[in-house]
Amino acid sequence: MAALVYLALFYGAGLFAPLVATHDPNQGQLQVEHRLQSPSSGHWLGTDVQGRDIYSRVIYAARTTLLFTAAVILTGGLVLGLGLGLLAGYKGGWVDTAIMRVGEVLAGVPTLLLILAIAAVFRARIGDFAFWLRQNTFLGDEARTLLEFIIIVGATVPFAWVGTSRIVRSQALAIRESDFVLAAELIGASTWRILTRHILPGVLPLFVVGLSSGMAAIAGTEVALSFLGLGVSPPTSSFGTIISEGAQIRTFQAYPHVLLGAAMPIILFFFAWNLLGDALVDLLEPRTSTR
Amino acid sequence: MAPGLAGYLVRRLLWAIPVLLVLSFLVFALIRAAPGDPVDTLLGDRYNEEAAERLREQYGYDQPIPRQYLTYMGNLLRGDLGVSTRYTDFSAAEIVLPRVWVSTQLGVMALIIAFAIGIPVGIYAALARGTFLDPLTISFWLAIDAVPVFVAIPVLQYVFVIQLGLFDLSWEGVWHPNIILPVAIMSLPGIAGIARFMRASIISVMTEDYVRTAHAKGLRNRTVVMTHITRNAMLPMITVIGLALPGLATGSLFVELFFGIPGIAREALEAILHPDYDVILFLVLFGSTLFVLANIAVDLLYGVIDPRVRVGQARGG
Repeated sequence: MAALVYLALFYGAGLFAPLVATHDPNQGQLQVEHRLQSPSSGHWLGTDVQGRDIYSRVIYAARTTLLFTAAVILTGGLVLGLGLGLLAGYKGGWVDTAIMRVGEVLAGVPTLLLILAIAAVFRARIGDFAFWLRQNTFLGDEARTLLEFIIIVGATVPFAWVGTSRIVRSQALAIRESDFVLAAELIGASTWRILTRHILPGVLPLFVVGLSSGMAAIAGTEVALSFLGLGVSPPTSSFGTIISEGAQIRTFQAYPHVLLGAAMPIILFFFAWNLLGDALVDLLEPRTSTR
Repeated sequence: MAPGLAGYLVRRLLWAIPVLLVLSFLVFALIRAAPGDPVDTLLGDRYNEEAAERLREQYGYDQPIPRQYLTYMGNLLRGDLGVSTRYTDFSAAEIVLPRVWVSTQLGVMALIIAFAIGIPVGIYAALARGTFLDPLTISFWLAIDAVPVFVAIPVLQYVFVIQLGLFDLSWEGVWHPNIILPVAIMSLPGIAGIARFMRASIISVMTEDYVRTAHAKGLRNRTVVMTHITRNAMLPMITVIGLALPGLATGSLFVELFFGIPGIAREALEAILHPDYDVILFLVLFGSTLFVLANIAVDLLYGVIDPRVRVGQARGG
């Protein structure tokens, strides 16, 4: 329950970031007396090396997380994970084999390595395109951020659907043997109808569980990429970039608030998703429930 | 091995080949699409157009990509995995394999620790079921799992290295106390998953008839837990172990970065950022092959343990 409340707060903060933030997240004050300030009533989580308000940067980082996870869930989770899983489980045969073998290899490659490679290669290429966008569309400085976003989502999605689609497939595999599917087939229902009306409802609970247990990992990908400087780049705020600024051992020794201020919200975020995933598994498997 | 099983195995392996080929071509093309090439890195300050041209010709980078790929594959079949362009005089294999070995050793240690903690924790939580201790235990490890390694590392380095002075941050090889911290950090996040899996497994075994029989005939609780429950509950853990194995060789990027460990994950990042084509490709092929093999092994074991999973059967009718 507490987990749900926290997640609602987190996503709410991301959604309404301009209202929740107390300062402009990108506006720094470089004078010595404004830099690396400890938390105070003026700056709730202190300021970073450029004199920016860390609390406001954290709020905008939540927005980055929100946008990233939503984009990955919609494309990789719903379209690929659910769609391909249903298709593979219901159709069987070569469709199943092809989808599962591709998934196997995608799940099998050193994922982080490939995501890094994709992100690094395309990042290095976006300069000209961002410039073109800025010249020819209404986009201004956001052009680059948008492209970076597309790149990290595009780099993550190919690897994000496999787990979910496996869960969906195995459930669909079990359901397609049931009498009501057989009955639907006998009266000549279309594949689409059988998938959406008869198999989907049975698959949905497990799909939600699969998604929620993968959420922390998906959000974590963006944080890790940004930490390495391959995700969204400054000044756009991300938990990864704030943490990387505070994670130098000497910085942490002298100014622990930079690391901790950004780390605690994202740790709680991952923890909340972990708890939620755990609780959902319990709901589906009452035999092993903790309650 | 049943004949159906052997056929299944062959089919799986045959499927793996085209998929690995496609994947390797995509990676091959991908890394060559990046601006800047190994020759830039190789020449560095001494860069001039003429020398660059000559080197590109020498390495064959002036050829069209499909052609380069065919050449690479031809060499691969003859056992030649290519050369490193960052460490000239070394082949890709000479760069990759020693680092894979370092990462594997650390990975095995971390895995053993994770299971050594995760399995008892899972058993404990299962036996404490119905009390507040069960959710508390699991939640504790889920909280540990929620801490990103790049947050845990600076904090723990600060506590153990700077405050307590127990270790220092230099790399002294695998058999040195300095690796305790990195190995511990590598093992911590996995414990929650192992414990949760073990817990569920124990609980599903606990209600079996033979467990009730064992209790009924007056065996000590301890004996029942150890021999009847735990032993049977360990069976499904094969999957977890099997799927964790290939991950051992790929290393933990952040641990290697923060602790200056000459492992494969750090090397991979370097090879991507300062392109070293053959090294990247070797890494991807090596890692993917391991994963595919482990996947097949786990699937086979599934089939052996649970015959209801009718692997690889096409839908009849």
